[in-house]
Amino acid sequence: MKTKKSPWARMALYLFVFVICIIILYPYFVMLTTAAKSNEEMYATGEAAVLLPSVWQWSNFIDIWREAAVFKYLLNSIIVAGGATCLAILCGIPAAYALSRMRFKGKGVFMGAVIMSQMFSPVVLLVGIYRLMTAMHLTNSLIGLILLNAAFNQAFAIWLLRGTFTSISSEMEQAAKIDGCGTVQALMRVLLPVSAPGIVTTLIFVFINSWNEYTIALTLISSDLLKPITVGINVFYGFNFIKWQYLFATSIFATIPVVILFLCIEKHLVAGLTSGGVKG
Amino acid sequence: MKENKPRTKLNMRKVEPYIWLLPSIILMSVMILVPIFSVFQTSFSEISKSGVNKGFNGVSNYVWIFQNPTFWNTLGNTVIWTIVVVGLSTVLGIILGLVLNEKFHGRKIVRAIVVFPWATALIIQSVIWKYIINADYGALNVLLTKLGLIDSYVNWTATPGQFFAWECFVGILVTIPFVTFCVLSGLQSIDTSLYEAAAVDGATFWSRLFKVTLPLLMPSLTVSTVLNIIYVFNSFPIIWTISKGDPADQTHTLVTYLYKLSFTNQKVGEAAAVSVVGFVILAVCASVYMMITLRAEKEEE
Amino acid sequence: MKKVLAALLAMVMVLSLAACGGGGGGKTTLNVIISQYGNYTQEWWTQFEKDFEEANKNVDLNIEIVSWNDIYSVVSTRIQSKQQPDILNISGFADYVNDDLLMKAEDYTSDAVKAKIIPSFWESNAIDGTVWALPILASCRSLFCNMDLLNEAGVSAPPATWDEVLTACQAVKDKFGDSIVPWGLDISTDEGQAAFSYYSWNFGGGYLDASGNWALNSDANVKAVEYIKTLIDSGYCNSAPYTDTRYPLQDAFSAGTLAMMIGPMNMVSADSTVNYQSVGIPTNTGTSTGLGVCDQLMVFKNDAVKDQDARTKAISAFFDFFYDCERYSDYMVYEGFLPATSDSSDYLASNAEKHKVGGSDATGNSEYFKTFCAQLPNCQFYPMSKSEWMDVRNGVIEVEQQVCQGSISAKDALDNLQKTIAG
Repeated sequence: MKTKKSPWARMALYLFVFVICIIILYPYFVMLTTAAKSNEEMYATGEAAVLLPSVWQWSNFIDIWREAAVFKYLLNSIIVAGGATCLAILCGIPAAYALSRMRFKGKGVFMGAVIMSQMFSPVVLLVGIYRLMTAMHLTNSLIGLILLNAAFNQAFAIWLLRGTFTSISSEMEQAAKIDGCGTVQALMRVLLPVSAPGIVTTLIFVFINSWNEYTIALTLISSDLLKPITVGINVFYGFNFIKWQYLFATSIFATIPVVILFLCIEKHLVAGLTSGGVKG
Repeated sequence: MKENKPRTKLNMRKVEPYIWLLPSIILMSVMILVPIFSVFQTSFSEISKSGVNKGFNGVSNYVWIFQNPTFWNTLGNTVIWTIVVVGLSTVLGIILGLVLNEKFHGRKIVRAIVVFPWATALIIQSVIWKYIINADYGALNVLLTKLGLIDSYVNWTATPGQFFAWECFVGILVTIPFVTFCVLSGLQSIDTSLYEAAAVDGATFWSRLFKVTLPLLMPSLTVSTVLNIIYVFNSFPIIWTISKGDPADQTHTLVTYLYKLSFTNQKVGEAAAVSVVGFVILAVCASVYMMITLRAEKEEE
Repeated sequence: MKKVLAALLAMVMVLSLAACGGGGGGKTTLNVIISQYGNYTQEWWTQFEKDFEEANKNVDLNIEIVSWNDIYSVVSTRIQSKQQPDILNISGFADYVNDDLLMKAEDYTSDAVKAKIIPSFWESNAIDGTVWALPILASCRSLFCNMDLLNEAGVSAPPATWDEVLTACQAVKDKFGDSIVPWGLDISTDEGQAAFSYYSWNFGGGYLDASGNWALNSDANVKAVEYIKTLIDSGYCNSAPYTDTRYPLQDAFSAGTLAMMIGPMNMVSADSTVNYQSVGIPTNTGTSTGLGVCDQLMVFKNDAVKDQDARTKAISAFFDFFYDCERYSDYMVYEGFLPATSDSSDYLASNAEKHKVGGSDATGNSEYFKTFCAQLPNCQFYPMSKSEWMDVRNGVIEVEQQVCQGSISAKDALDNLQKTIAG
């Protein structure tokens, strides 16, 4: 939209954006500079305190790989987030399809239940989850984390996908059906390609949420080599020590892949949220 | 018997939607409903400090939490936390979204920057901010001193109120990106001809904002607000990392409080009762929301 | 809808069947949870597991290292789902005894091990004469002073009384202003009860009266808590004692920006260049009382195991193996803690150099073990064998925080606590 505003209003708005950007970037600046500081500079105060490390200890970034199984943590996170995303989408697409294209009894109840299921955060259910996982022999396993993350993101996935499907006219599928396609084929060949932006958004959302999940993994995973990165960085936050430098250095490695992922799909994100959002 | 065939077809029609829903229903009922059930059950049971279930004890867990002043303080905090974080991040997110929807130099960069907090794990952001606001060696005091803005170090977290304010600040910061992108996507779908019509009518910026833009953004904003209320209400890592609910349990929200009850104070039954209370609050909000949207949909029809 | 239900039921049945599987085999399995004492705890125990299984072919040992942040939640959820470990290393056992979850120590401790354990440690794990746990290691807390900073501020010797502490803090504050924190204080949920112990014991108070009943609101305790508030109000402490745990304080001390703090004997990091001295905790009673911390190893009952004899034998073998003089001493040097057995105490007083400190090439220091093992007799321990201990622990932390926030007087807060605990 093109608007004509007074230059002052324009200035104010730009200033606002500038300030927000600075505040957003500041923690990353701190993370990067602190990760490269020595222990003395880390705790230095008064005159001795420095904004930037006087000697950049890049070795910190190398040491972490030796000090802890950071590579394994990252790999676990990728497995959990990837698995949960696939599962959530595979279960979510048919459900969203039924909700957007079919009439049936209990539709409202189901939608209500979906929203309700979002009300309990995993923290609240921790004890129950632990019991369930013990009964299923899935504590201390990545499969358990995948199932849980998929389940707790299911509602969100259904919501976004349903919005996407609803916003797309069903005429094309009906045409395809007249041409002899079954419902499944119509879904696969016609609807899914058209709703790609919405699906990508959903994928990313579930992936990010699972990647960032902390409390379930903290309670369920006990073997060091099965920890995802969010829990893994706790080794630098342990009993007799806090290694802020290592903590931040590892955090950088944990953050970069997700940021890159986000930047790649930023455009889809905007498009996907629209279709998902319009018809909440 | 004659009607058998059409009837199976009809039945198939009726059953089909449920088959489509089945995978999702199974996933959610096993992974979420079972734990929910066990939380409800636990809230009516006496659980010993080491974790042994001593059986049904009526509503005594609820009585215990209702008689505990910390619980009421926590409840108040939770309401403030949710309203402040969701409210302010929505307002700021709308402004940011409106600005970012215009073309200006560096827009792409700004949009990329706004994504950052969204893409970073909450636990990581919380740890960084905990380090930044540390009064003794934290980055903020060092920065402000170097810039000459303060002469001596400021204790940013002297009182529970200050702790809580910082936590709200971090909460707002990490919530803004989601709102901004919901607004951006909402704006994309608005027909530009509406603006042209408004411009022809000689509408000012403000009247256009309030009469055209915001009403059309409503659907996207409702989605983001509802989701944010749920997420923020249940948010755990920020408060737990920065203050653990201290000093003197003054900065808890329900979620951190029940975590502390359950895992530090080993009062599992009482903690389950707090979860149920939190659930009831959210459920009431959800039903109000559903009633409003259902009514709106009926009016549309 | 029926189909859905049927499918659900089928799913649940499959899952529960899956849950019933597993188990069997001729070996005895022992699940062990060990607390993470340091960065290299995992490494040491992995080696231990290998060596033990080599020596005891019929036992399958699963050792799991859990950090102190999570250990109580992990154990509590395991117990709730009836998955308690066989052997647990944690701090505190009274709650488990109350619920009848533990085996008596006599049932699995061999005579050889029993003879080695220093008697005061053996008895400290007794409730009404029955011993329920074994001491895994000990540590004692004392006052650490950065002597370069104190000397520069004009303080020549570490403070010995609480008044001298105030004077020393003021001197450091006058000299260095913002850049040095005079006194490290941790009254956080993490370990605020330790602070309560340091101050209350050395003001002449404590948790219990002479006859072993709770006496939390004694005058000495009131004075001690008021004193903590004075330290904060005068600006001598780190800025957020309510949330700062001991660990960043220790790091700050090692980096030379914190002048004094009370901490465990192994708190200064190996690579620190700080010129420090460690002395007894300041006191107003004449003799300094240190805080001794002694974590335990305990054995849970497991009725599901068919061959109880084999299980008990395996457990005895575990302890015989662990408390073996050289192996146990090696662990103590590795983690920097003090041994709870007499043979290791004697051995380490002259042989610590034969062992390496965890993760480094540094060797142990016999002098260190000699000094601190000698301090142990002056230490008091938390009253962990009382069943109200966990509530008292959380209660005193809350009192400290409330009083220091100024929302209630020390007297009232302690009176309330005494009322809740002792009725």
